[in-house]
Amino acid sequence: MAFGEWMSESKKYIIGILVVGAVLAIIPFATSFDQYTILLLATALIYGIFVVAWNIIGGYAGQLDLGAFAYIALGGIVASQLMIVYGITPWIGMFLGAAASAGLAIIIGIPTFRFGIREVWYALLSAALVVIMNNIFHMPQVLGSLDHYLPSVSGWFYLEFPTYENIYWFVTVALMFVMLINLMISHSKVGYYLRAIREDELVAEALGIDVRKYKLVALATYASILGFMGYVYVVLQGTFSYHTFNAPESIGIAIMGIIGGLGSIAGTLVSGFSLKLIGDYLRGSLGATIPGLNLLIYGLLLVIIGIFEPDGFAGIYRKYFHKEKSASKVSKK
Amino acid sequence: MSLGMSLGNIILRVDGVVKRFGGITAVNKVSFDVEGGRILGLIGPNGAGKTTLFNCITGVYRPEEGKIIFQGKDITGLQPHVVAKKGIARTWQKVRPFKNMSVLDAVVVGALLRTNSVVQAKKRAVEALKLVGFPEEKYEMLGKDITLMEHKMVDLARAISTEPKLLLLDEVAAGLRPHEMESLANILRKVNKEKGLTMIVVEHVMRFVMNLSERIIVMHEGRKIAEGAPKEVANDPDVIEAYLGTKPL
Amino acid sequence: MDPILVTNNLIDGVLMGMLYSLVALGLALIFGVMDIINFPHGDYVMIAAYISWLIAMAFWVDPSVTALLTVPLFFLFGVAIYKSVIHPILGAEPLIQIAVTVGLGYVLENIALAIWHAEPKSFPAPWFNFGLNFGGLSISVAKLIAATVSVISLYLTHWLLTKTKFGLAMRATSANRLIAPLMGIDVEKVYSVTFGLGIALTALGASLYMMWAQTNPYLGSSFSLLAWVIVAMGGLGGVVGVIYSGLIVGVLEALGNTFISPSARLAVIYLAFFLVLWFRPRGLFAKR
Repeated sequence: MAFGEWMSESKKYIIGILVVGAVLAIIPFATSFDQYTILLLATALIYGIFVVAWNIIGGYAGQLDLGAFAYIALGGIVASQLMIVYGITPWIGMFLGAAASAGLAIIIGIPTFRFGIREVWYALLSAALVVIMNNIFHMPQVLGSLDHYLPSVSGWFYLEFPTYENIYWFVTVALMFVMLINLMISHSKVGYYLRAIREDELVAEALGIDVRKYKLVALATYASILGFMGYVYVVLQGTFSYHTFNAPESIGIAIMGIIGGLGSIAGTLVSGFSLKLIGDYLRGSLGATIPGLNLLIYGLLLVIIGIFEPDGFAGIYRKYFHKEKSASKVSKK
Repeated sequence: MSLGMSLGNIILRVDGVVKRFGGITAVNKVSFDVEGGRILGLIGPNGAGKTTLFNCITGVYRPEEGKIIFQGKDITGLQPHVVAKKGIARTWQKVRPFKNMSVLDAVVVGALLRTNSVVQAKKRAVEALKLVGFPEEKYEMLGKDITLMEHKMVDLARAISTEPKLLLLDEVAAGLRPHEMESLANILRKVNKEKGLTMIVVEHVMRFVMNLSERIIVMHEGRKIAEGAPKEVANDPDVIEAYLGTKPL
Repeated sequence: MDPILVTNNLIDGVLMGMLYSLVALGLALIFGVMDIINFPHGDYVMIAAYISWLIAMAFWVDPSVTALLTVPLFFLFGVAIYKSVIHPILGAEPLIQIAVTVGLGYVLENIALAIWHAEPKSFPAPWFNFGLNFGGLSISVAKLIAATVSVISLYLTHWLLTKTKFGLAMRATSANRLIAPLMGIDVEKVYSVTFGLGIALTALGASLYMMWAQTNPYLGSSFSLLAWVIVAMGGLGGVVGVIYSGLIVGVLEALGNTFISPSARLAVIYLAFFLVLWFRPRGLFAKR
């Protein structure tokens, strides 16, 4: 598609992304560089990225991916190990990590995205993938039981800094890119095709859509974003181990995606960012007495949303917004 | 060898196609030719194997025996999206709308088969919707909010927008009221005439096809039992028996 | 490798395979009859294992005995879950359907974590947790009992499906959900009983499992994986397919455990799962 054509179609969304980016960028100044707050926000923002990226496979392609941390951890560990063992800059390592994650995802996608194969098999393979990767990386020949740390270096070459604001800004820029990728997909042929596939695969095939190819495109895009951001996630965590392949958190990403609203960029961003903040707050305040409370609430929210409002936050917002609009029309009369 | 050979004006040749499910032979050695630009009727009582044959042509099923030649090329066993790309489109017996997409977007999906530009596709989608006479003020309505007749029109436009050479219509009149059937038949005639689009109309209601096509094929229990002009077919003793034996008219 | 150890592990695998079949049968019923994807099937095993443990501790009886309570209790629990959560999403798009059951599993898992925390629980005075020795081989009596009860239950379910009127209704519903009501079948009743039965079978599996094992909040995910692999392999080829697949999975697990490492046992099963989906997506024993 002609780029100019696309630009004019999406102008207001691009302005939206720039505004979000600008607001996020000045927040560190507002906190007067409080390191605890900035780390908290950067972590919530990176969850925003994960969930907005998840929207590509979940919201557009309609595939329930439950394996986010298989891709995040693999990409992060690849980039980290390349740096630790070979001294390779994460600026290269992150791309290799992204490639590794995309490769892994495609292997899972090839058999399960075939025409006529039920959605459940991809969901299962992706959910189990996190557990299996966890087990494999737990073996002494791979990472063993130990926590691994990044070398204490600093500077843009390593993307590690003594304070958190630089990495926070890096995450902000990355988020803007991921939102842009989402936007480009949703307004392009790929986006139309993915929506059609989500509506009805059989009809999509009959309209000449190579269903598996387009699902794989969505999956590979999603997995490479996660793989790319894996290193930044490791930096924010300060450590990596087989635990980074975190099964409950992977399901958490999907839950946030659905609660935010399938197909909604703004909804998934708000959901990922705010649920991560709320979840961490709950874990911090009540986690010692009631472990897993945050996850329990996510699960309950998902069940309730799934039954009553499958369009998530975005659907609730639209309904409310529409009501307002029609109400104002009536009052004008 | 014969594949390269010109088949004259024959756009589709179905040659001895057999499709079995377990022990049941749903389609049994069916052969026929479709001439370009014409409307061919394919009728038969429920369970005659029409839809199965349809699915063999469009690539949903791979036939056990026989060949399907489209525009001189063997397309037997190709995947559905490849068949569509080659120029065979279809509509659905049971309505399958894109429930949460607008009418226009649904047709845009079809038009994107021949272009990568969404803007271009939108233009072509509007053309297709106009051709079938879909009311313009309803372009932005969602698939779940339109009537059955409107959906049949969208389904038709969606198929036409892929710019097919051959259009397969699976029980397109099912569920419609008599006057709606009449206007649908008019739309089909118009599309056939203006686009020169070849059609195969599958029906179990004989009347709808009788008015529409010059040539009719009758299937019963997986076999082709008659072929000819509507009048000939209607008076064929085998056809009468097949219909009266299972479903009195 | 010590041949006695290998034989021992293989026997163990066969016995465990029967228990896995029992758990997977519930999943296969729900999937086959209702076309509902009960994603976190194993989490019901996990919760049932805790309930079994609670009852065993309260009455100081072996967990196997608690099946008398857990099975009817979980039948009702299954019916309640069906009525409150599954029924409203019957017509939803696949992603939402799967996601809601995933959410349920997440809730169950984290309720267990909230109440009992992460430390494993087991009954300290089991009756049957000892081995029978045959010339160096040692066979666990508890697992032998579990496998025997599993086989009997599998047979009874097979009988229910093929020989009773209700089983006929279940099979008719499975064959065609739209036509079944026209034949006078109360589909709603078939659904709630099927779901209840499927969950009741997980409770039986859990009470048997607790004869020797311990439970923790994450027990569910491995049982879910095992059950789904068995269903994928068995296709929807009925009880017999489930039994064969259970055997294969049990033996594969034992082999992975013996020849690679305990943490590789799930990886081996995952690989098998992947290969089945790749080469035989309709299952190894599916009809047609």
